[in-house]
Amino acid sequence: MTGLLLRRRTLLASAAALAAVPARADAPKTGGTLSVGIDDDAKTFNPALSVQLSERQVLHCVYNTLLAIDVDFSVKPELARSWTVEQGGLRYVFQLAEGVSFHDGTPFDAAAVKWNIDHRLDPANASPQRSLLGPVIADVEVLGPHSVAFNLKAPHPALLSDLADRAGFMMSPAGFARYGADFGRNPIGTGAFRFKAWTQGSSIALVRNQDYWEKGLPYLDGITFRDIPNHVIGLQRMSVGEIDIITSLSPDDLRQIEGNDAIATERARIGRWYSLQWQVDKPPFNNPKLRQAIAYALDRKRINELCMRGRAVIANGPTPPGLWWSSPDTVVYDTDLEKSRALLREAGIAPGTKLQLSVSSDLVLRKIDQLVAEQLAEVGLTVELQPVSEAESYARVVKRAINFTPINWTQRADPDGLLFILFDSKGFANSTGYSNPEVDRRLEEARQLLDQDRRKALYAEVKTLIQQDLPYVSLFFAAEYAAYANSVHGFVWPPDQIPRYRRVWKA
Amino acid sequence: MIRKPGRVLGALIVLAIVLASLCAPLLSSQNPNASGDDMLSPASAAHWFGTDDLGRDVFTRVLYGGRVSLLIGVGAACIACGVGVPAGLLAGYAKGWLSVGMVQLIDLFIAMPGLVLALVITVVVGPTLWNLMLVLGLVQWPGIARLVRGQVLALRDTPFVEAAQALGGSVGWILFRHIWPNIARVVAAQFAVAISVAIFTSASLSFLGLGLPPPTPDWGSMVQGGFDGLAFNPWLCLGPGAAVSLTIFGFYAMGRSVE
Amino acid sequence: MIGFILRRMLLLLPNLVLLTFVMFAVMTSWFGSPATMMLGRDATAEAVADMDRRYGFDQPVLVQYARWIGHAATGDFGRSFASQQTVAALLAPAVPVTLELSLAAILLAFAAAVSVNSLTIARRVITPMVTAASILGVTVPNFMLGATLIYLFAIRLRLLPTTGWVPWQQGVGPHVLHLLLPVITLCAFYTSAFSMVYRAEYRATARLLFVCVAQAKGLSETRVSFRHILPNAVLPVITQAGLSLGQLVGGAVVTETVFSIPGVGRLLVAAIGSSDYPLILAITMMILTAVALANLLADLLYARVNPLVRI
Repeated sequence: MTGLLLRRRTLLASAAALAAVPARADAPKTGGTLSVGIDDDAKTFNPALSVQLSERQVLHCVYNTLLAIDVDFSVKPELARSWTVEQGGLRYVFQLAEGVSFHDGTPFDAAAVKWNIDHRLDPANASPQRSLLGPVIADVEVLGPHSVAFNLKAPHPALLSDLADRAGFMMSPAGFARYGADFGRNPIGTGAFRFKAWTQGSSIALVRNQDYWEKGLPYLDGITFRDIPNHVIGLQRMSVGEIDIITSLSPDDLRQIEGNDAIATERARIGRWYSLQWQVDKPPFNNPKLRQAIAYALDRKRINELCMRGRAVIANGPTPPGLWWSSPDTVVYDTDLEKSRALLREAGIAPGTKLQLSVSSDLVLRKIDQLVAEQLAEVGLTVELQPVSEAESYARVVKRAINFTPINWTQRADPDGLLFILFDSKGFANSTGYSNPEVDRRLEEARQLLDQDRRKALYAEVKTLIQQDLPYVSLFFAAEYAAYANSVHGFVWPPDQIPRYRRVWKA
Repeated sequence: MIRKPGRVLGALIVLAIVLASLCAPLLSSQNPNASGDDMLSPASAAHWFGTDDLGRDVFTRVLYGGRVSLLIGVGAACIACGVGVPAGLLAGYAKGWLSVGMVQLIDLFIAMPGLVLALVITVVVGPTLWNLMLVLGLVQWPGIARLVRGQVLALRDTPFVEAAQALGGSVGWILFRHIWPNIARVVAAQFAVAISVAIFTSASLSFLGLGLPPPTPDWGSMVQGGFDGLAFNPWLCLGPGAAVSLTIFGFYAMGRSVE
Repeated sequence: MIGFILRRMLLLLPNLVLLTFVMFAVMTSWFGSPATMMLGRDATAEAVADMDRRYGFDQPVLVQYARWIGHAATGDFGRSFASQQTVAALLAPAVPVTLELSLAAILLAFAAAVSVNSLTIARRVITPMVTAASILGVTVPNFMLGATLIYLFAIRLRLLPTTGWVPWQQGVGPHVLHLLLPVITLCAFYTSAFSMVYRAEYRATARLLFVCVAQAKGLSETRVSFRHILPNAVLPVITQAGLSLGQLVGGAVVTETVFSIPGVGRLLVAAIGSSDYPLILAITMMILTAVALANLLADLLYARVNPLVRI
């Protein structure tokens, strides 16, 4: 580990992204307004407070992140043009782009980076990202006007991907000083588009940032995000040309535009991980035989068929194929009702035993709920569905007020991002009560290693262990789609499923 | 009766809907809750209203959906009358502070927007069958109490009640033997209206996402679920919507004779 | 009269306090601390506890309520948990939308009920049809009517936009087109309710002596209807409008949800969906106050015209 002053990377920002532009794109045209259909549950455009997924495609327009993720989940430069890792992974030094200014005219520099991270770490600002950054970052050091160092408490390779996500959005310190708590309605960043107007629950209007630092970008004059009550009506408005693009479509939604030559579709590279979770330290699910019996009783092929029109990838663990830390499936629970009934007998579970499974208003989860109830009835388990509001659902899961629930998680750019928080006994999203020292040891070792091959091997072992222990029953990796009018070019959809519009142009 | 064709029509509709939901297993051979392989198929001879997103026959679910709606409607109306009638009798017959207090209480609750109140309460207590009955009953009791009070007030000073009082009859005896028979018809009519209002409100709650948990067939939730598919298969949404509208119409017409 | 108004106002106040307290107590005990919801899925237990302390979510209900009502009394309803924006900032754009929708619906309903009934009441053939239509109007839920109208006019005939809202500033034409179906949906109920009240009153008025005189003078039926009966029969309808504001609000909640209109009703449904109780409380309180005031106004109006009613 001597050569850890490693991987000094300087990339042309556009090289990787250009590869993702569809081949049909000719020379990009400038001008035009893109109309995006979204389910507008946006609450704030203050990135330090943002929680909703719908907010993030707007945030990526108004702000830049320090780093960016590419379509293969690799990290690439954005506001930080290059970086070095020093002191065995305890210190990251970033060289920032020069000549960048915020929409309010104030310059973006190392002091602004320090302010942004300190802002998130300050408990007074109640940033959800504090729980992510707090345990990791010791301090941020300004080395020069365009050079900044992050000193860490412990090695944390996932820092880079964190800085490509919400924690990396750079907001204007002067703008925040001006608007304070109302910054969320008056966001000011360095991004390709300026925030113009927000009619809550109806539309969000952005206009081109004439002084954008990436020369020649953006191509569009503006973007309007329009609220659509549901995808059917959204797609209908797309057919008549009112809306150019919609993302997060389900396979059911696609039926409506099949055969429509004016609309192109694109499938998300990585779909959300859907699973069932329960509390492994409380009855009745503290009985491993019951957990296995349920895993064997489920017909995941049929669940895939009915929820995803068979287009999802059946999951045998939390990591989908196609990522650097993906590994072959080692423990697989194929439907086997006989085995399931036998396990139930061994576990001493009488036929007709009642289980309570929570059900929210989320459409896919609701379907899963009903199918699980139906399939478990086959082996003699009676599943009662307990309603819970969609917003309340996760809070109650973490509070451990819900024992058995379907859930979904999006993949993070670093394996530590999801695996540690869910499966380590100290992970803050570990709501199953799962604690296996063998898993903990591997996760803790892997999160501090910079050697990717070694990490991959450890994560493969973790996957096997959790498939044996079953804190979660994996169901599938969803099939999700974007649909856009043929006039739209340059659409980039990284695996975090937040569309980027900087390079989009309309023919 | 014959002079009130609205009432007859209402009663016929209600009868038809009660029969249809009770005899649902005879009218359809399909299981309302079992998922099928043919999802979101359009209306056809096999599936009159098509199938929903889990491949279940929508027509069958509409038939079974009547059971829940009727149960909630009747239950809520019973609770509304159970609270509202005694309250109204008391407010109308009693004098002094008791009457004033009751009237104030009734006025306080009657001014409240029923649906909004039901919405907020249901969020907190959770949408179970019992809770829905209770909430929708409690939202309606003031209307019934006010109606009963008006009737009692009109009767209180009539000669036959005064005669009963002169004979030294107890309050309970006068209310029960002399006043109640005279207002029973009005209360019965209002009972039907209360059912229609309860079904109306519970369907609206379901539409807003506060219906009974799946897979229970529930008209309001089905309308909401089908709303997304309006362009493909309008029956998905309008089928259960028509059923709920018809039921509300039936009870309302039964209660309120046309004029 | 002034004593009456004062008494009603004084009664309203404790009612609001009591009601909001019950709601507050139930919501805080039921939903518990909103910290997890505010912090999202990336929250540590420590961050949640920290937020509880800072916002006072860990204090007794009475203390929390006292603070809330103290601020509410000065018109400060705090910040939404979900969005961190002030409740006032969220309500400001929503209130005019709901007001416009409701006023348009009430006026249209009023005009339709009065004119249709004045025109047709004498024509016995049409009367049963109007009657049936008005019962339908009262019994078809807003969501069903809304869905049917969308299906017919937006999906089938493609005459009108399906859903959505275009502010005035973005064009008067689109604004009105987007408003059309929701207003019709919302006003159906009122047209019917007003129609029933108006018809009863119309009948009663029509029997009065001066109307018979007017008819005897040989005035046309329309003239008698509109010039003589209407002015005398219209008042109870206005009272009815005041009294039914509560139902209007309920109808607006559903209608705004069906047509995805960014008004108070949709805000309430969204707030309920995200258990955002500062917003739920503020909206409920606003609605209750508005409804109580409208009722008061209706009572006053009624008493003013009908001296037999003593207040």
